[in-house]
Amino acid sequence: MGKYSSFQKRCFLSILCSMTLLMQTGCWSKGEIEDLSISVGLGLDQGNETSLEKKFDKLGAGYKKKDLITYTLQIVDKQSESKSGDVKSDSGAKPYLNVSETGDSLFELLREFSTRMERPVIGHHLKVIIINEQLSRKMSMNNLLDFNLRDNDIRPNCLVFMSSGLTKKALEAKGNSVIPSFRIFGMVGNTYRTFKILPPMSLIKVEAKMNAKASYMLQNILAVDGEVKFSGAAVIKGATQKFVGRLNEEELLGVSWIIGKGKGGVVKAYDEKTKQIVAYEIKSMKSKIHSQLKGDQISFNVQIESDGRLSEEWVNQGQTMDAGFIKSVEEAAEKEVKRTIKLGLNKIQKEYKTDVAGFGKRFSIEHPKQWKKVKDDWDELFSEADIRYDVKLKITEMGAKDGH
Amino acid sequence: MKSSFKDRITTIQTAVIISNFMLGSGILTLPRAAAEKVETPDIWLSVIIGGLVAIAAGIIMAVLSRSHAGKTVFQYNQVLLGKWIGGFLGLCFVVYFFTTSAYQLRAMAEVTGLFLLEGTPSWAIMMVFMWVSLYLMIGGINPIARLFEIILPLTIVIYLLVMFMSLRIFEWDNLRPFLGQGLMPVLAGVKSTSLSFLGVEVILVLTAFMNTPDKSIKAVVYGTAIPLLLYLLTVIVVIGGLSLEGVLTRAWPTLDLIRSYEFPGLIFERFESLLLVIWIMQIYSTFTITYFVAALGISQIFKVSIRKCLYILLPIVFIISTLPQNINVLFKLGDLLGQTALYLFLPIPILLLLLTKWRKRSNG
Repeated sequence: MGKYSSFQKRCFLSILCSMTLLMQTGCWSKGEIEDLSISVGLGLDQGNETSLEKKFDKLGAGYKKKDLITYTLQIVDKQSESKSGDVKSDSGAKPYLNVSETGDSLFELLREFSTRMERPVIGHHLKVIIINEQLSRKMSMNNLLDFNLRDNDIRPNCLVFMSSGLTKKALEAKGNSVIPSFRIFGMVGNTYRTFKILPPMSLIKVEAKMNAKASYMLQNILAVDGEVKFSGAAVIKGATQKFVGRLNEEELLGVSWIIGKGKGGVVKAYDEKTKQIVAYEIKSMKSKIHSQLKGDQISFNVQIESDGRLSEEWVNQGQTMDAGFIKSVEEAAEKEVKRTIKLGLNKIQKEYKTDVAGFGKRFSIEHPKQWKKVKDDWDELFSEADIRYDVKLKITEMGAKDGH
Repeated sequence: MKSSFKDRITTIQTAVIISNFMLGSGILTLPRAAAEKVETPDIWLSVIIGGLVAIAAGIIMAVLSRSHAGKTVFQYNQVLLGKWIGGFLGLCFVVYFFTTSAYQLRAMAEVTGLFLLEGTPSWAIMMVFMWVSLYLMIGGINPIARLFEIILPLTIVIYLLVMFMSLRIFEWDNLRPFLGQGLMPVLAGVKSTSLSFLGVEVILVLTAFMNTPDKSIKAVVYGTAIPLLLYLLTVIVVIGGLSLEGVLTRAWPTLDLIRSYEFPGLIFERFESLLLVIWIMQIYSTFTITYFVAALGISQIFKVSIRKCLYILLPIVFIISTLPQNINVLFKLGDLLGQTALYLFLPIPILLLLLTKWRKRSNG
């Protein structure tokens, strides 16, 4: 920089400093966290205007829309100074706030909240989306989730659930210590205890299924009196991306055995001779699906293996357990597993005609050339395929109790 | 303009510049761009082949530049082809590099505006970015190389971190069947994957600055190998995590992968901001080097000082980068740039190399 005088240098430096100062004043579009409504849960129900909305409408608040969807937003609300909307119980105590809007475009509905609340809603921390099964029977998942997949605030790891009742109910909790969305999000972590809970389906996974026009299951939620329970699964058909029916808990167990990705759980069976309870606890489960193609005839062979522990038995009180007894427990448990598989398969293959257990994926891996031809009407072909299954359970330990 | 440069760069620095140039916006869009063409999970094979193609092209350019010691492509093609034709060809290169820098600038503004600074006007984001880059470029190639040497290892460490963490949603089945539809889809994707290795052409200019121009081939191979490994990892992890169908409709699939998991309890639960930070640094380096090369080209073709060119081009690059009306047009521009690069940097270096050999023989 030899050719510049010290004056020039000084001028340059002072300009630079003042420019830097201008640039350092912080975020351009900041939003203070106290001024935002953080939404953590979202429920979609069939359009049914709340009494509050009806009153607003009477006063002339309407705009052009079809009442297709009722959109319930759960907002974390610690300060609780603004109590607009349909807060069911007495205000002030609950850590959350549920507000509902009815209309058609989800995005318009979300923005509609701005006309009712002083703090804008942000979706960065949205954890769960719950969709009512009856709504999903009419509207495809593509339409219901498009906005959420497009929005740059909502993360694709947000989980999607189905509810057989009103999702509004699933987003409520008894007492005032839990935020219902967080409770549901947390319950998904219990998959190592029972395989009645499906592996989590995040938005991005649902999108992959939608794009592939594949069928899939979503965890079903039951809600009663502010309590919730994961129970069974909602089945979405690939071609329409609409709800076709539900698997109850036993049928879901059967399908889960075929998928073989459970981390733990119980098989409760009854001893052949004494009709007393024997319980097998799953330590590991594996399933292998093999596809066969003879001419145009597609068939599958499912091999299921599991290691486990004898966790409870009401048969041999205080007596020695011999190898024969363990064998009989294994057989009883195997029989029980086969029973649930039969129930589950029957439902998904014959009744709903939707492949939600990954048979198509295996077929595409083992017969990629053929898959390209059949993938468009796979669900139909799947319903005609011959499926055989073989279950091997092995008891490898007896718990803390010795054989005596 | 002097034909030899005081500031020299080492072989490693050259490789680092090449790597930083490549790792631009491609890393966020590569899985989708390739998936659209390949349509099978074998995209990673296309990435390997694309990388090998890039290395081969790079070696040709390295050999060419090596045989014109101390001169950049803008200078020696005038020697080889005459003042007018050579000058015109040089201008083509300048336009390519310059448009690329405008493209990178805009891509940066798009992603930053969407995921980081929603509401901040894009001119504000771009201005700051351009000024910081100008400040670096005024210093010449050596400061550029030294800054890149800091950025690259940082990028690699953070990138590996976020990639390995996303293994929690990885599924092998998403990458199968292997070669289910044969080799043809893989080859169909090679063109789009080799485009993400654009950047190797900078060796045409960098060799002139090298301490040991004889090692230009080594620089090209090392410089391409690092992005090749990172791209390979990206494609495998992104397709394994999101599946082929999940990738196809996403604008920035790699970012979506990172947005698809969180680690409760860790200091950060969400890692996309980390990825965006290193990605912006990468865009910064791509912008800087393309802009610098374009300015250098103009200064050498028209024999004006590079400092003047650097200042004069600044408003122009800003205007060009604001031209695409939306992101689709931007992606189209990116494709167009890739096509142009295929024509500029595959046949022309080969011709120039043959011409060089022929001249040498007739002289000797």
